[in-house]
Amino acid sequence: MMSLYGVQLECLISIWGILILLVDAFKPIADKRMVGYLAAGFVAAALLYSFAIQPVPDAFFHGMFRLDPFALYFKRLFLLALAGVLLMAAEFSPRIESGVAEFYALLMFCAVGMLLIASVNDFILLFVSLELVTITFYVLASYLRRQVPSLEAGTKYLILGALSSGFTVYGIAYIFGTTGTTNFDKLAEILQSQAGPPSSAFVFGMLLVLTGLGFKIAGVPFQIWVPDVYQGAPTPVTAFLAVGSKAAGFALLLRVLYTGLLPVSLSWNALIAVLAGATLLYGNLGAIPQHNIKRLLGYSSIGHAGYMLMGVAAVNALGAGAVLFYLGQYAFTNLCAFLAIIAVTAATGSDEIPSFSGLGKRSPILGLALFLSMMSLAGIPPLSGFFGKFQLFAAVIQRAQTDSRYYVLAAIGAVAVVISLYFYLGVGRAIYLQEAEDATPIVVSKPMRFGLIVCMVAMIGIGIFQRPLVHASIMAAKVFSLH
Amino acid sequence: MDTLLTIAVLLPLIAAFVLFLFPANNPKAIRAVAMFATGVSLLITLTLFANFDRTKSGYQFVHSIPWLPSYGCSLKFGVDGISMTLLLLVGFVSFCGAFVSSEIHEREKEYYILFLALTTGISGTFCTMDLFFFYFFYELAVIPMYLLIGMWGSLPPGKHGRTKEYATMKLTLYLTAGAVLALIGLLGVYFVGGTLDIEKLQHNIWLARGTQLWAFPCLLFGFGFLASLWPFHTWSPLGYAAAPTAASMMHAGVLKKLGAYGIIRLALPLLPEGARHWANLLAILACFNILYAGWAALTQKDWKFVIGYSSVSHMGYVLLGIATLNVVGVTGAVLLMFAHGVMAALTFALIGFFYHQTHNRFVPDLSGLARKIPFIGVCMVMAVMASSGLPGFANFASEVLVFLGSWQQGSTLFRVATICAVWGIVVTATYLLRAVRTSFFGPFDEKWSMLKDAVTFKQKFPYALLLAVLLTVGFYPRVLTDIIKQSVATSIVSRFSTGNEANAAPTDTAYKGGTTP
Repeated sequence: MMSLYGVQLECLISIWGILILLVDAFKPIADKRMVGYLAAGFVAAALLYSFAIQPVPDAFFHGMFRLDPFALYFKRLFLLALAGVLLMAAEFSPRIESGVAEFYALLMFCAVGMLLIASVNDFILLFVSLELVTITFYVLASYLRRQVPSLEAGTKYLILGALSSGFTVYGIAYIFGTTGTTNFDKLAEILQSQAGPPSSAFVFGMLLVLTGLGFKIAGVPFQIWVPDVYQGAPTPVTAFLAVGSKAAGFALLLRVLYTGLLPVSLSWNALIAVLAGATLLYGNLGAIPQHNIKRLLGYSSIGHAGYMLMGVAAVNALGAGAVLFYLGQYAFTNLCAFLAIIAVTAATGSDEIPSFSGLGKRSPILGLALFLSMMSLAGIPPLSGFFGKFQLFAAVIQRAQTDSRYYVLAAIGAVAVVISLYFYLGVGRAIYLQEAEDATPIVVSKPMRFGLIVCMVAMIGIGIFQRPLVHASIMAAKVFSLH
Repeated sequence: MDTLLTIAVLLPLIAAFVLFLFPANNPKAIRAVAMFATGVSLLITLTLFANFDRTKSGYQFVHSIPWLPSYGCSLKFGVDGISMTLLLLVGFVSFCGAFVSSEIHEREKEYYILFLALTTGISGTFCTMDLFFFYFFYELAVIPMYLLIGMWGSLPPGKHGRTKEYATMKLTLYLTAGAVLALIGLLGVYFVGGTLDIEKLQHNIWLARGTQLWAFPCLLFGFGFLASLWPFHTWSPLGYAAAPTAASMMHAGVLKKLGAYGIIRLALPLLPEGARHWANLLAILACFNILYAGWAALTQKDWKFVIGYSSVSHMGYVLLGIATLNVVGVTGAVLLMFAHGVMAALTFALIGFFYHQTHNRFVPDLSGLARKIPFIGVCMVMAVMASSGLPGFANFASEVLVFLGSWQQGSTLFRVATICAVWGIVVTATYLLRAVRTSFFGPFDEKWSMLKDAVTFKQKFPYALLLAVLLTVGFYPRVLTDIIKQSVATSIVSRFSTGNEANAAPTDTAYKGGTTP
């Protein structure tokens, strides 16, 4: 019974997903949008319920599964992402030819994988839950199966995803082979007690695992798939990749680095810092010439992986908390952007940036939502992205007090902020400064309006009253013994 | 009394949120809310100024709300003589800016929301006593400015070959680049100093020399971008030329002063050793500001470009005053920030007045305007006189203080810089008088016969108010210099006083000679 307490959210979402499949098979509901709204509402209720769940100090399932504040923080984040994405999927459903209910169910099963990832404390569970997420994404990315870009996206994701899964499992084998355990806590003990540097076979295994995780978070040099997949995949799936999959990658990265491998992490931070700098520059420079908004957001998501890697590379409590805060506000910001994009493309049929011209006049709420989310991504106060970046920079500068090379990383981050403002303002310019060719107003459905308002209030609210989310992220980051 | 300051700062932002809920089809009510918010802010500021204890040197009207305990950050407002002066400036300029915004006739709701948010961003930066919120408010001004220029601005085609979209993007990117550079320096100060409280950092903490030497240029150039320090000034004339009247007023009048304020409030007292190390470079760059921008202004034909370059040139005097690191010079710099802010706002408002009717601000195209719009003409002549530093205007008192401070600094470099700066005044007078002579006097051109002058009290009011401020401070500068000097001496120059006691003494003969003409 005790173990069930740990996995209750996973059970809830799985059962609800299966129910949607069954009901659709036996008593199909004609209006598929309604099903999506219902699913989103249910997930939102589960999100509220999750605040009643208390963290448990001991691990479940023979030490494989943790329900600590860190896990709960991420579970709430994933439920939030799922609710938003289901709302998008409902709005998007008229453009899916068949299998709309399966689309919803797949999104939910994918989220179950993410919920498990939040609690991972063992390499075996890590691999299983990672595959649950990745394999459902193969299907989801190519869901518009008569459209070549979607198929291309699915194929690209499949090939690179399978490769990275292979790396991960191969790396796990090496780690198990050299240490005799797959459990993070035991691994940390073994590494602590070892005298001298870890064996090269162990280091090799660790590199392979990091490769697999680098693919998930879309960090350089494993970022090649991102722009094509983001552009080709159905927009709700793109949003889920940006919000859910990236957060899952960071949850695993933090867990692996800061619990299992903490004794050796400090000697690794130079590598991560270099990758962070490269990711920042690649993502932000690559975004400049883009004229498709989904592709732009793909590059931007690489850039944001770079910012968060800055926090990971700092290897301090401030940095871990900053990454968690950043992911939290990033979810609201990206959901807001993708909700607005779905509403606009439903009306214009195009996701090229020029088709957003004059959006501020065609639909004030969509224009404002997209503009605010772009500014939050760029990190302008009083929006939440500003404080997220502030904390990440603070973490890096704090580390720079002991290792002055980190000032270089902060400088690269500063350059990236200026570059990113240029292309985010490119979208802003289309929305407010340019005139629309076709000025017919865009109709926004009530649930969509609700979702947009929630996201906007959250962006501004977190940006001004940072304390609740800062508190939650610090509490969650406390599970790691960092200073 | 203590909460009044917080109200004065936050009222425009609250009004902006209120406007958000207003229907867009009632521009009169929207305008009334904006006027009310800026007007009440100005009244509160004047009340605070009247109640300001002129004998004390520290922060007054301090009000603090704990904000982020994990960072030791609190929403803390308070003013000393320096920020009180600048808060007055924000009050006057934002009120007059809202006044002359009656020329805006499309998307009024968005316009006033952005204008009010901008106002809070600026006054918040001047009044906050917390490093985090300093940066927060400082950056808050960026986006309203981008949209104000991009949506309501106008940039007549010219040799520059740029559009207003280019101008506003350039301005935004330059300012953000500077802000992020300053952020790195500020975070360094925070982690070495261990607190975000500016007052504590100013008085209780002395940072290691190494930190000071690298952090000072971060802050100097970071804030220098906004203060249009040469060679980072190129965004400025273009941005002003493209901006709508009220945005030009706010930007040239107040926002630009944020940069100089950042240097005075943070860079000097927190990093005194760094300041001493870099002061000579700052003085040299300031001379480039004065002469290079003055020379550039000589060749301009668009009224707004003339005034834009002129304001870059005037910021050179402010920066030179800062570089002296002595009471007289820094006091002069602060007073000049005030004087130039009022003067620049007045000039841009006047240009806006006739440009709104002529749709042309090309100096050679305008001729004899003073016949049709005598009131505006007279105001313009007076603004130009003020700008050229004629006695009787606040600019005179402040520029004299800057020259005295710079001469008193003593080194050959500063002597040369003073001579350059004095010549800068001749250059200023040349381009401004030439522009006024061409467009306001000379033969009257019939195509301007449709011009209407400001006749009603309501029309004349904003210009008269700004002129009155310039003249009041010009005839009685002590109304401001007394409080500025007090704060400069105790919280800034005292940090340099090791082995340099003479500068910190408030009874300085050269200083007295400068302020009581």
